[in-house]
Amino acid sequence: MISGAAGRSALGIRLGGSVWLFLGPALLLMLAAYLAPLFDTTIVSLHPNRPTGIDRDSWTIANYLRLLDTYYGEVLLRTLRVSLLITLFSVLLAYPVGVWLAGLGPRGQAWAILVYMSPWFVNAVVKSFGWTLILGNRGLVNRGLQSLGLIDSPLRLMLNETGIVIGLLPGHFLFVLLPLWAALKGLDGNLRWAAMTLGARPWQVFLRVTVPLTLPALLAGAIINFTMNMAAFAAPALLGGTRTRVLSFIAYQVNLEELNWPFGGALAVAMLVVTLGFVMVAQGLTRGGLGGGRR
Amino acid sequence: MGGAPAGLEARSLVKRFGATTAVDGIDIAVRPGEFFTVLGPSGCGKTTFLRLVAGILAPDGGSIRIGAADLTQAPIWARNIGLVFQNYALFPHMTVAQNVGFGLAMRRVPRADRGPRIARALETVRLDGYGGRRPSELSGGQQQRVALARAIVIEPDLLLLDEPLSNLDARLREDMRSELADLKHRLGITTILVTHDIHEAFSLSDRVAVMRAGRVEQVGAPTELYELPANRFVAGFLGPVNEWTGRVGAIADGTAEVEFAGLRSCRVPALAGWRGGDEATVILRPERLGLTAASAAGEGAVVGRIDQVAHLGNLVNYRVAAGGRALLAQAPAGRTGRFALGDRVAVAWDDADLAPVAP
Ligand SMILES: Nc1ncnc2c1ncn2[C@@H]1O[C@H](COP(=O)(O)OP(=O)(O)OP(=O)(O)O)[C@@H](O)[C@H]1O
Ligand SMILES: [Mg+2]
Repeated sequence: MISGAAGRSALGIRLGGSVWLFLGPALLLMLAAYLAPLFDTTIVSLHPNRPTGIDRDSWTIANYLRLLDTYYGEVLLRTLRVSLLITLFSVLLAYPVGVWLAGLGPRGQAWAILVYMSPWFVNAVVKSFGWTLILGNRGLVNRGLQSLGLIDSPLRLMLNETGIVIGLLPGHFLFVLLPLWAALKGLDGNLRWAAMTLGARPWQVFLRVTVPLTLPALLAGAIINFTMNMAAFAAPALLGGTRTRVLSFIAYQVNLEELNWPFGGALAVAMLVVTLGFVMVAQGLTRGGLGGGRR
Repeated sequence: MGGAPAGLEARSLVKRFGATTAVDGIDIAVRPGEFFTVLGPSGCGKTTFLRLVAGILAPDGGSIRIGAADLTQAPIWARNIGLVFQNYALFPHMTVAQNVGFGLAMRRVPRADRGPRIARALETVRLDGYGGRRPSELSGGQQQRVALARAIVIEPDLLLLDEPLSNLDARLREDMRSELADLKHRLGITTILVTHDIHEAFSLSDRVAVMRAGRVEQVGAPTELYELPANRFVAGFLGPVNEWTGRVGAIADGTAEVEFAGLRSCRVPALAGWRGGDEATVILRPERLGLTAASAAGEGAVVGRIDQVAHLGNLVNYRVAAGGRALLAQAPAGRTGRFALGDRVAVAWDDADLAPVAP
């Protein structure tokens, strides 16, 4: 509670002087490896693409106007829809799983976290192939349901948006779970008892004490989750199929198959702007009082 | 609720944590409106007892009644108990007013009635005007008072305080102590305080229970415990004592003549079970041991030499080597009658100040 102000001064960092000496290399690296290519991509996206290559002598916004084509609009909407859906499912699952997890013993928690991390132990392409064995028309799920007589014709679980959501959710859920789990574990257990002695039932404790105090952590996780969903590439490509393309895959095609860097650049910039927009809205929500205005 | 104060009756309460028995058969009856303190060393089971009463822990045996109701199995939220935690446990995401109003909201008190009740509770703990602040913007003592306001605003049948002063510095603790004493008279709520601080316990309480290792050793008014401790543990826990073990001589009319090596023999009330020739222990508080210059020693006085002096400001503690013993004496720090290290002094006491104790 009091640690905020004290913690800051305890760090005792004064920006200036020798601090830049230590920050310098890292800043230079970021400038060179991250901002420079981004800047270059933006510049390239403002040049026309000719059969001979990028025409650096003339400027145009044609690449951006092309994004207004309904096809790209649909792709953008689909990407957003899939990403938000995965974030929504992750957020809905986060409290039940997080509360259960935080209540386990130390060993139980370690094992459970390992399980939730396990999607990351497998390469994305291999993992997606594994999913096709499960989700395909003759996959595990459909054959199981058919042999139980629950369905007549197979459910379409992949080569559509459902496939993308199923493919990404298990891995990306981790990024919502971890911050929330840490926040839940950090809660003073006496707050719960204090609320209960004041007359709160367990669900009231959850809504009025647990959620407000851990929501900022959940939202931070949701933001990471969302950006990961927007940027995911391999699983959407393999589980979405040719008719269900997402923005990152289109950008890949345009850049590396068509070698149309100016239009690919425009796609990349558009993706960045949309993602950042959503992140800023979400952060605004956190600050704007959903989190109870913690300082 | 909120009417006449209720009493508490805990019977044969038992709570085990694995192999340790934290509370080992406690019987405590707190009278309606009484300020009752559970006093004991660290780890003796005080917090566990309080948590059993509040319903945070379920007992492994025994029963708890508050007023006429048996609450042994009642859920926490149905007990109407105000609990002040050692670390306050204020809700950090709520303002002071919201913290205090939480219990009212849970009790579905109409919104219009909450404001005045919150204001009155904050006034009671002298925090009027602080309603809009966050707990993080308050000092430790102020947080403490918010916790108290939050507990009393619901007009609980029972107020439980778990070492409420132990996190405060010495001066603030003194302030809060006198404030609690005031509150006690104004509120009249049945209160149980848990502490290991004797001064806190004695200055606030109507009665005190001394605990050791999960059991109650003695219950009584502070002076009763101080003058007539039931055993050596209670005697020692309530402050420094002279403890003399001797041999019982003649017993007549409930008064025993006890012989002490190196001291004069004394006449003390005989404990049940004392026989001639038995070992017997008596105690004498240091402030009841009188010191005079050896030259002025009267008949039967024991003479010794001062081998330790400690000035406490308003008091002076002496240790006197006499009769092969180390005798403790305490005297007011006046200009007269002061002694220095190495002075020869005569020690004297009134046999009426001696209390026999069980081992
Ligand atoms: N949750 C628990 N699990 C296991 N043992 C516990 C638990 N709570 C308390 N104990 C044990 O029970 C005993 C009594 O603990 P308790 O907290 O009641 O002591 P206390 O009198 O309040 O001490 P203090 O003055 O230090 O607060 C101790 O030996 C403690 O280690
Ligand atoms: Mg305790």
